[in-house]
Amino acid sequence: MQNVVERVLNLLIYLLESPNPVTADDVRRTVLGYDGQTDEAFHRMFERDKDVLRKLGVPLNRQALDAWEVDYGYTVDPDEYAVPDPGLSEEERVALSVAARMVRLGGSYAGLDALLKLGGIERSVGLEPLGADLGAEAEVLGSLFGAITERRAVKFDYRASERQLHPYGIAHRRGHWYLVGAGAEGERVYRVDRIGKLTVSEKTGTFAKPKGFDVRSLMDGQPWEAGSDPEVEATIRFDSEVAWWAARTLGLERPEAELVATVPVANRDALVGWVLSFGDAAEVLDPPEIRDEIRTRVEAALEKLP
Amino acid sequence: MTSLRTVSRLSRILALIPYVLEKKSADVSEILGRFGYSEEQLTRDLNTVFVCGLPGYGPGDLMEAYIDEDEVIIDAADYFTRAPRLTSTEALGLLAAGMTVIGMGEATPALESAVRKLTKAVMPEASSALVVDVVDESDNVGIFRSAATDRRVVKITYRSVGKEETTNRDIEPWTVFTTLGRWYVMGHCRLVDDERTFRVDRIRDLEVTDEIFERPKRVPEPGVGYTASEDDVVCIIDLYAKALWVLEYYPVEVLRQSGRSTRIRFSAPDAEVPARLLLRLGQDAKLVKGVDVAERVEDLGGRLLAIYR
Repeated sequence: MQNVVERVLNLLIYLLESPNPVTADDVRRTVLGYDGQTDEAFHRMFERDKDVLRKLGVPLNRQALDAWEVDYGYTVDPDEYAVPDPGLSEEERVALSVAARMVRLGGSYAGLDALLKLGGIERSVGLEPLGADLGAEAEVLGSLFGAITERRAVKFDYRASERQLHPYGIAHRRGHWYLVGAGAEGERVYRVDRIGKLTVSEKTGTFAKPKGFDVRSLMDGQPWEAGSDPEVEATIRFDSEVAWWAARTLGLERPEAELVATVPVANRDALVGWVLSFGDAAEVLDPPEIRDEIRTRVEAALEKLP
Repeated sequence: MTSLRTVSRLSRILALIPYVLEKKSADVSEILGRFGYSEEQLTRDLNTVFVCGLPGYGPGDLMEAYIDEDEVIIDAADYFTRAPRLTSTEALGLLAAGMTVIGMGEATPALESAVRKLTKAVMPEASSALVVDVVDESDNVGIFRSAATDRRVVKITYRSVGKEETTNRDIEPWTVFTTLGRWYVMGHCRLVDDERTFRVDRIRDLEVTDEIFERPKRVPEPGVGYTASEDDVVCIIDLYAKALWVLEYYPVEVLRQSGRSTRIRFSAPDAEVPARLLLRLGQDAKLVKGVDVAERVEDLGGRLLAIYR
């Protein structure tokens, strides 16, 4: 690893300091650490080091040096390389350090790596007894976020078909990440953990988000409100034992005793799941179709018992 | 293919150099803290920097990097006056962290202005493209945070998950955290005299007392609310196509997958949990093994049929 670290540092310095695009051959001849390799070993090494540079956030550009696109040259623009200075005060950096040590993404405290590049992490402040885990899809999520900020189109597999999308935003809600954007079917929401085989377009700035578009507008509401079932209103009664809890979920005042609430339903399955999570302490009073649906399911479950 | 350690070592070096260059010289102890170095690691990285530089690689081409007394000195590294830009994953990680804490309703003004500045730097053309929602509908998270900080015993009335029961407990809150979309408080429960995790939305009432508790030296890192234990009820279920979402929502073990069904092992602290799930799934699942669970399905199913008949 020591050799790799030195070689990549030398390569980066060479790229930053070269006024003209450099070819793989230039690198091989000039940069310390690449000498004495077979062709094959050199190319493997160079590919790997370019990959390291990209992972570090180095904007490595590749361009054709001739009309036949036989030779390629690499450049790193020093201005593009430098992290844009957000102008954080010392107090703000400390506040971010505290936050970054509280929030996990993709199984690690992902914000800490960013803070290193912005002046380091303050560790003298005590740890908060507060934490959040935002789930585990960091790599896909990072690619999507990059596509959104640079306005690149994306292509991905979703429920066995390929979608093309102008990505507008991502949102974390109820424990899941969602991608919001516009495609052939209009504005849509996708669960990020169901996205397969993501491809991000090479071209930047290819679309503009409609003015005033708000990611939240497509995300609001309870799980049973968003769906493709014909919309109905359901009336549910909750026993006093659980009424306080249902009221909390629905954003209602805490009732004295039992609660009777009416909710709009476009996803029946989600509503049935929620009501049955109360056992027999909640009852759908209306409409009869949903009562029938619950009875059918219970009967089926009873019949299937071993 | 690329070793993660190589990348993180280089990342730290490329952040360290501009910091020291800007400060001219920096205290070793300060650098150790800021960049999370041990003294040995710092020396090793400075020695690496010391042998790298411009082609030619003679004494005049290499960077200078060493420790003098208690100062870190780096020089002749003009190409590294700035750290590399943030990768999209890093930018997302930091922004999401800041927004999460703001979303908890626990932010300081400094954090709010930091996130504003960062948003402007990271996504000037796409502001409002990131939403992190960790709302706690019960408004109890802030109370538990203060109680955990002040080490106050809290009396709670709790509706347990699975079991149809409401209990009164005195708990010593250690941490409050959110995962998989729910808020939890973890700590010592005096009722069972053991470590427990409670869902905050299931706490009906709470009262912070004046009693101060002793916090253990090492508090376990908060994690997903449920981990299997020996007292668990275990059953085996076949899921059919329409019920496969269960794999994403519950911590289940997949035993076998065939064309028609997926066989899972489902563990829960109480038989009520799989019983309710089976009733909800109806014909989309089948209990294969689990006497306690079957009894509970029969019992609760009977009561539900009486209601919906």
